[in-house]
Amino acid sequence: MRNYTPLVTLLLIYAVMIAIGQGIQGMWQPIMLVIFYIAVGQALNIFLGMTGYVNFGYVALLGVGAYGMAVALGYYTDLGLIPALTLGFILAILLAFIVSMVVGGIALRLRGAYFAIATIGVNEGIKYLILGGKIWGGSSGIVLSGILRKAYGAETMRFLSTVFADAGLIVVAILSGVITMYILNSRLGYGLIALREDEDAAKVMGINVRRYKQIAFVISCILAGLIGATAWTLKLTYVFPQDVFAINYTVEAIVIVMLGGAGTLLGPVVGGLIYALLKYYLTIAFPGMQLLILAPLLIIVILLFPEGVVGYLAKAARGTRFEKFVR
Amino acid sequence: MVKNRWLLVAILVVSTALILGCAQEQQPTTPSGEGKVETLYFGAPISLSGKFAEEGKASLEGMKIAAKWINDHGGIKVGDVTYNIEIKAYDDESKKENVQSLIERLATVDNVKFILAPYSSGLTLAAAPIAEKYQVLLNSHGGASDYIFEQGYYYVVQTLSPASRYQTGFLDMVKAKDPDAKRLALVYEDGEFSRAVHEAAREYAKQLGFEIVYEKTYPAGATDLSPILNELKAANPDVLIGGGHFADGQLLAKQLAELKIDLKAISILVAPTFTSFYEALGNKAEGIAGPAQWEVGVKYSPEAAEKLGIEWYGPTQEEFLSAYKEAMGEEPPYQAAEAAAAVLSYAKAIEKAQSLDPAKVREAMNDLEFMSIYGVWKIDPETGKQIGHEMVIIQWQNGEKKIVWPESAANAEPCYPMPTWDEKEGGATCGS
Amino acid sequence: MAFVEQLISNLLYGAILGSVYGLATMGLSLIFGVLRIVNVGHGAFIMVGAFIAYWMFILYGIPPLISLFLAIAVGMAIGLAIYMLVVKRLVDAPELASLLAMFAIGIFIEEFAKQIWGADYVGYSWEIGGVSMLFTEVPFTKLLAFASSIVIAAVVYVWFRKTKIGKAVRAVVEDREGATTCGIDVSRIYALSFSLGIGLTVLSGVLVTLFTPVGINVYMGGEYTLKAFVIAVLGGLASPWGAFYAGFIFGLIENGSYTLLGLIPGVEPFGLTRFLSSVVLMLVLLVKPTGLLGGE
Repeated sequence: MRNYTPLVTLLLIYAVMIAIGQGIQGMWQPIMLVIFYIAVGQALNIFLGMTGYVNFGYVALLGVGAYGMAVALGYYTDLGLIPALTLGFILAILLAFIVSMVVGGIALRLRGAYFAIATIGVNEGIKYLILGGKIWGGSSGIVLSGILRKAYGAETMRFLSTVFADAGLIVVAILSGVITMYILNSRLGYGLIALREDEDAAKVMGINVRRYKQIAFVISCILAGLIGATAWTLKLTYVFPQDVFAINYTVEAIVIVMLGGAGTLLGPVVGGLIYALLKYYLTIAFPGMQLLILAPLLIIVILLFPEGVVGYLAKAARGTRFEKFVR
Repeated sequence: MVKNRWLLVAILVVSTALILGCAQEQQPTTPSGEGKVETLYFGAPISLSGKFAEEGKASLEGMKIAAKWINDHGGIKVGDVTYNIEIKAYDDESKKENVQSLIERLATVDNVKFILAPYSSGLTLAAAPIAEKYQVLLNSHGGASDYIFEQGYYYVVQTLSPASRYQTGFLDMVKAKDPDAKRLALVYEDGEFSRAVHEAAREYAKQLGFEIVYEKTYPAGATDLSPILNELKAANPDVLIGGGHFADGQLLAKQLAELKIDLKAISILVAPTFTSFYEALGNKAEGIAGPAQWEVGVKYSPEAAEKLGIEWYGPTQEEFLSAYKEAMGEEPPYQAAEAAAAVLSYAKAIEKAQSLDPAKVREAMNDLEFMSIYGVWKIDPETGKQIGHEMVIIQWQNGEKKIVWPESAANAEPCYPMPTWDEKEGGATCGS
Repeated sequence: MAFVEQLISNLLYGAILGSVYGLATMGLSLIFGVLRIVNVGHGAFIMVGAFIAYWMFILYGIPPLISLFLAIAVGMAIGLAIYMLVVKRLVDAPELASLLAMFAIGIFIEEFAKQIWGADYVGYSWEIGGVSMLFTEVPFTKLLAFASSIVIAAVVYVWFRKTKIGKAVRAVVEDREGATTCGIDVSRIYALSFSLGIGLTVLSGVLVTLFTPVGINVYMGGEYTLKAFVIAVLGGLASPWGAFYAGFIFGLIENGSYTLLGLIPGVEPFGLTRFLSSVVLMLVLLVKPTGLLGGE
């Protein structure tokens, strides 16, 4: 039974968010922060949520995506704006693809927590390769705003770093949602969920477990690369290795997926909303104390709603006419 | 039926949470009426948690002291209206995404036109495109890197000395004290800031005739520098410059002592300017120098300003010190002074421009020059880069942090060459 | 000649540092081995130990070696409290839930520590001299860190091998259900192992400051968390002994490879040593997914 109706809920939420962001003064950046967190959660969810495997190296994929775009715009500026941007997206995808194939090829042979901890070295490895090997400017990073301004003019630069970057991120976020929905409805999705519940049984049933995991891993990683390219390189107009290969983003993404409900379509959206808004308002209300408050809240949520908010709602909505809208 | 409402509830919760944010405090700051007293907000996304928490707190306190001084001394007068300054600060958690949201919130919800940039070059760079978008001024008091001002942002100005000037004063000092000390080594953290500082210093050193005998970096977070230091020892340098932030600066000094690498002079970034440096190292810190944007005891005063023919503005050093001590219970680090100077520069420029329009204030900044506790404030009109302010070199002497360079600001002679590690083991200090 | 001398000096320091790393990873491996919980908040507990050493020295002049006892006591108490309040409810929950809970606990400890101790970088000077050995100078404090790591690891080893309760813990690691049927009270073993794991981690924080007595800060743990994870995998993840040996190997690789990588022109060898340890990790997993010393 194919069911794409939860996408209606998803698009509705995005529409409301964009309307709020555009309609109310000062809400656009906070909305973009929320969408960034949603996107990060959504892309991670495709792998983590569906397989139950934790990818600690996740942020490294955002990092290489960010570098792909930065290298194209910074080193191939002369190609012209559209070709350089296109190259940027291609490089972001390509780098993410290569990293995910290599890491997946090695680490996906491991089960459960072994996999999680094995991937923790990935982020550090890539960061120190760039730093130690002095690749792409090493620790000096790539600073783009001056280059872009000179090459394409101030107006274009401003357009790139505000309108285009934000639009790009929204597209990637929605795309991640659509792909999630597609996978949930496909053979791949059924296979993945089977292996999440019981990997050995799935194997016995003739599911090619390794291949399924690898596909989900690569898709998740490429989307992460695109998030890095839009939300970081284009929006911030600079890339520093210490800055993009920061492990806390991985953990934040996991928190979002868990809060919302792993393996659901709407989970990362709800998780991202709760997480980002909670943090944003705690920041304003209790400067410097927000993490101290957030941490116990998180523990309480884990203890009370182990399957996440959407997991809980989906259960609650079962058998009602809302059932097909929540997943 | 009860269950059917869950979805509705969820959507409602989400939307109300979002809308709540906008209902909060819409502050009108439009000038009106005659002889009126109004409040003018300066916005500050500043790090109260995360890796820049320490610097952020000091900066915020500096801003508050400066704002209070302005308010106690008649506020800012624009036409008939007197403005009292208030600092509107939010915690950015030392994270780039938060900085962008907060800048927008300040520029739109809080209707702030003058923003004090977040701490560090990276975060200042993240803030710049958003500030430029809303055409609000961004005054960098903690973002030293030169490249911020090479990107062509018009609304971004700098109050502190740029990174390229951090270690140059020390090299001048060594050259003046001992023209024969030629063998220079550089050991620094592989980070964007310390690399910018030391690459500029290396080129400057070559001009001064130093010979670079060793240059290596270590990664942030290193807990053992012995591989580098063993090599350094073999290179037999006279003088060392290096460091990066807090922890690594302390570690560098500690391991130089442990490995008994004697040098005539050492200058380390950031770490030595903090009292905790001496507390951590004891008398091993004796003679270690470091660049500072500002230091307690620096000789900037209304009299010094008069001598130079520049206007003085802001609290005197005594006033600033006692206010900071009262609030924080300790002496102010330089972050407090540079943030205070940024606030003062806004006040001064607004009064000069007689307008709250950021474009006019930015224009007024072009030929603004004044002295405060922090020293001279003057920017390059083209880039917004700070050119008036001078760094000072501090050195630990007999358990006290002394200013030893430049001579015009110094309150002590440089201790040169510094005592050897063996002498220090025997209790030697600078000046004993 | 200089090359060989430096290589030997680096290996010496690498071995000392490695012993500290090894001990700092044992607690992580113990908790994972027994409870299958990934303690992503690991570094926060190391930080607590470092501050215990610092405050005892600064306030009362108590040398860090004595603080070791206090540290393990405090650590075990914290560990037991966390187990009772949170972990107990999560033992059978999916990995992800406990992982996240440990992350939140780690953050809470760091932020709480910041409220009471501030965000300053501090350090202490316990000056007891040093000795020239193998072309370099080694302070006695570092040698003490080395010796205590080995002694503590040995004590834990003997405790596991020879005592009844230690054997029970090992039985649970081997086979949870089997242990239950043999009449072992698994929940008690869980509580003990978690508390001991945290205790060892806090204790290792004291040793960390013996090696690096400066730069002590509430956020210092992150660096050690990452290293501990890499070391734990190298050592087979579920085995505290494997972790201890792997710590040595890690220290030797990190410091020893510096001299070799320095031969490559135009790079930053120190940064590349960190890259190399990630490569080694990947290679080990490729060849032997159970870790270098796994299967014990």
